[in-house]
Amino acid sequence: MSDYRVLPGPEHFLPPAAASMGIRLPNPGEAHINGVITSEEAAYEEAARQFLMAKVPTIFPGPLVLWAWNEKAAKKATAIRHLFNTLKECVQPGQKPMLIPMPDYRPKYPKINPEVEINPNHPNLTIWHNKIDCCIFVGVHCHQANLSLKIIRGGTSCYTIAMCAQAGHEDAMLSIRDTSVEKIMRLADTIKRLKGTVQPRLASAN
Amino acid sequence: MSKERIQISEALYDIMPSDYQDLVKSATYGKEDRGWKDIGTSKELIEQHSLCAGCPESMAFRYILASLPNPEDTVMVGSTGCTSLVFPMVAVHNIHSLFGNQNAIASGLKRALSVRFPDRVKDVVVLAGDGATVDIGLDMTLQAWFRQEKFTTICFDNELYANTGGQESGLMQKGFVAKMAPVGKLFDKVRLPEIARESGCHYVVNCTVSKPSLVEKVIRNAVHIAREIGPTYLQLYTPCILEIGKNSMEGLQEMRDSEKPSERFAYKEYVSEPAKQLLTELAAKDKERKAAAKQLAAQAQAN
Amino acid sequence: MAEIKSVIGTQNKKGQTYTDTWKMMNEAPRTPSFFTGSEVIKEALRRASCDVMIAYPITPQSEAAALIGELFAEGYIGDYFRGESEFAVMSQCAGSAFGGARVFTTTAGPGTMRAMENFPMWAGARLPIQMIVTCRGINSPLSIQPDTLEIAYLLNTGMLVWHAETAQDFFDWILKGYMVSEEPDVHLPLALCCDGFFVTHTKDVVNLTPADMCLPPYDPYRSPVPCMDMECPPVRMMRDPFVMKSNYISYATHASWQQEIWAAVERSRKHSIHWLNGLIDTENTDADIVIVASGTAVSQGREAIRLLEDEGVRCGLVKVKTLRPWPEEEIREATKNAKHIFVPEFNVTGWLAKEIRASVPNHQRVHAGPHVCGGMTMPPEIIVSEIKTALGMKTFSLAGRGS
Repeated sequence: MSDYRVLPGPEHFLPPAAASMGIRLPNPGEAHINGVITSEEAAYEEAARQFLMAKVPTIFPGPLVLWAWNEKAAKKATAIRHLFNTLKECVQPGQKPMLIPMPDYRPKYPKINPEVEINPNHPNLTIWHNKIDCCIFVGVHCHQANLSLKIIRGGTSCYTIAMCAQAGHEDAMLSIRDTSVEKIMRLADTIKRLKGTVQPRLASAN
Repeated sequence: MSKERIQISEALYDIMPSDYQDLVKSATYGKEDRGWKDIGTSKELIEQHSLCAGCPESMAFRYILASLPNPEDTVMVGSTGCTSLVFPMVAVHNIHSLFGNQNAIASGLKRALSVRFPDRVKDVVVLAGDGATVDIGLDMTLQAWFRQEKFTTICFDNELYANTGGQESGLMQKGFVAKMAPVGKLFDKVRLPEIARESGCHYVVNCTVSKPSLVEKVIRNAVHIAREIGPTYLQLYTPCILEIGKNSMEGLQEMRDSEKPSERFAYKEYVSEPAKQLLTELAAKDKERKAAAKQLAAQAQAN
Repeated sequence: MAEIKSVIGTQNKKGQTYTDTWKMMNEAPRTPSFFTGSEVIKEALRRASCDVMIAYPITPQSEAAALIGELFAEGYIGDYFRGESEFAVMSQCAGSAFGGARVFTTTAGPGTMRAMENFPMWAGARLPIQMIVTCRGINSPLSIQPDTLEIAYLLNTGMLVWHAETAQDFFDWILKGYMVSEEPDVHLPLALCCDGFFVTHTKDVVNLTPADMCLPPYDPYRSPVPCMDMECPPVRMMRDPFVMKSNYISYATHASWQQEIWAAVERSRKHSIHWLNGLIDTENTDADIVIVASGTAVSQGREAIRLLEDEGVRCGLVKVKTLRPWPEEEIREATKNAKHIFVPEFNVTGWLAKEIRASVPNHQRVHAGPHVCGGMTMPPEIIVSEIKTALGMKTFSLAGRGS
């Protein structure tokens, strides 16, 4: 078992891939928090807690859900909207939930508009511009998600969560695997259940 | 992908950047008679580019993307060079892997798509520069033609290596002084159109991109013939204004000058017999379709 | 989009049943068959639900590549053709993999070297192509004989690299290899290497799975990167765009991309251990002397151990199955009791010994040898001799007869 922990940054000029530090992905039915394998239940709780604590909790939906390329994708998009609406209902005044798409993976020149999108080649622009302190990746292809997650960990203090349709992401601080519509709804339910029990970080400076 | 599948999820439509909203609203995916005239009235498949101001290659890109007969089921293959700075911005799946291997990539790709989608049309179109097509990749360019691989090869001929700063290429004119040709190029411009014909291409055109209607015609022909019969080759003059010492606004004139009857880009075309037959059939079908549409419109008006 | 699970139990056009791979490999009855290594490659491919195989002649893989052509003619492979060179073939394989196909190819020696530019591209593009490498000499003067030097060049490409000892390994690992390299968290090409001729051209008894069972098909929509077929988002997609425009954050993207490839190699550990029952096999590693080897050097090492036993010298064995991922922890553990570690190799530079030296404490324990190369055989006696010499025991020379 590795001593390395996947924690909010800024970690390093070039942070390592968590996998090369010995962090292993969860098996089906499991999740991870900070690189430590946990139950999915614990991961939902922690993800909800992080969201409810954050000043700018943000959902980054990727191409796999932004595009209605099959029925499942469209349903996931609806679930993600529900998650965002739930988040808006459950935060306290001063918290600012955001929903910002990662519509594609192309390097955009000279740069993206950080108000309307996030891009895996320079994700920090969107994190910094909007002062995002907790985010969730969902519907992003695994390769591009990992690129982004490492860059975010390297240069920002944002807490990253990955809801992955495949095997999960050890480069995020928290990851749930085999994400389905039901799992997205379950996260929304957990946020609703924990509403009012978590103190937002609003008071602290920056 | 049918046009219907290039759709944004309804629940997240409002957060999509406007260029994608425009793309699903007014791009010409699935439009049967799409062409260069759509430019200006519809959303183009190329979103932006980082080419030099006035670069004829950017014009060529726009005309080609407006003219592909089936963009919703077309995959393009590029190579290293100025084109690869444009390709990320193109709303058609496309591949860059190495310098010069584009026709090998396209061979494997076309076969994979035929295995996976045996009952569907999936067009493959290669678009690469002259260094990639004629110098480093010549073997794979020709071998794909010998094998009668069913895809279109487009060469953007700017007669030099533009992206690396203007070095001599095989398609450069004899005598031109360039980097790596310090006393002028010592041998003739490689005659790839002739070689293409002898190598088994069923449709070969050598021209400039000065006339969008001409580009539209040759692109449609090349893609249709490649789909049904065998390899096709287009060599399009897209001068590098930067490296031949021209200004931004002089690209068009340079092309017009080079397409005069005695010049190296005077329009030349070769069509094989089976390809001629196909073009005749397609023209007849097109006529029929247009007549039917006209009749339908007239009926609608009468009603 | 078809779900893989729903395919299991149904039949392909050849009447083979798509079978859960774990059941097929571990529970289905096996039939002992007497085949050459090349024929075994063909039999594995018959069961692999392979979409595209691309061939090129080079000894000693030509026979296998041609036999797979027969499979294509019989209808077991989606498409098959001869490319014009290994460089082109590996690019054609890439094209097919970009288009969502399960791809197979074979190469050897100078062909591996000619194609080399493709391999880091394959890995960088996350293409789960499987390539058999039947190793032979690569330097001038030309040699078609077994020599494993080319493996050293593959180790830093980002590909998974496995080294089969026997034809049985080959049969099992071709099929299991797809299961590992197609995992979405791995999704990397696999170079499945063997020592040419020794494995390809000798006959051996190999236990085959039933011919009417085959792997579930590859599902390109589980890929960690978009498949280039215009059937999946995003529609505006280049595989793969240049992310190295001159500013800090894009250099970071390229760096992160490279790290992700090697992270994927790391992630393959879990799956490789699952399918191969560990990255290494060990025997008697409590002994003072341990031979660590890969490929047919393992077989020679095993024979040397038998000879040494007759003389009262006890010796352990470590068979290294995967070179990438590199079983560092496993080798360290297996050699912790060893006072001497011997690494017999079929190449002149001793790349395996170098890897082991970099992995174990007290690396002076590692004896890089014996080596043979250029197609020489490795008689077990020379391993015995190397070990006895190191132990200060009297030994003989196999060099010749004297004048």
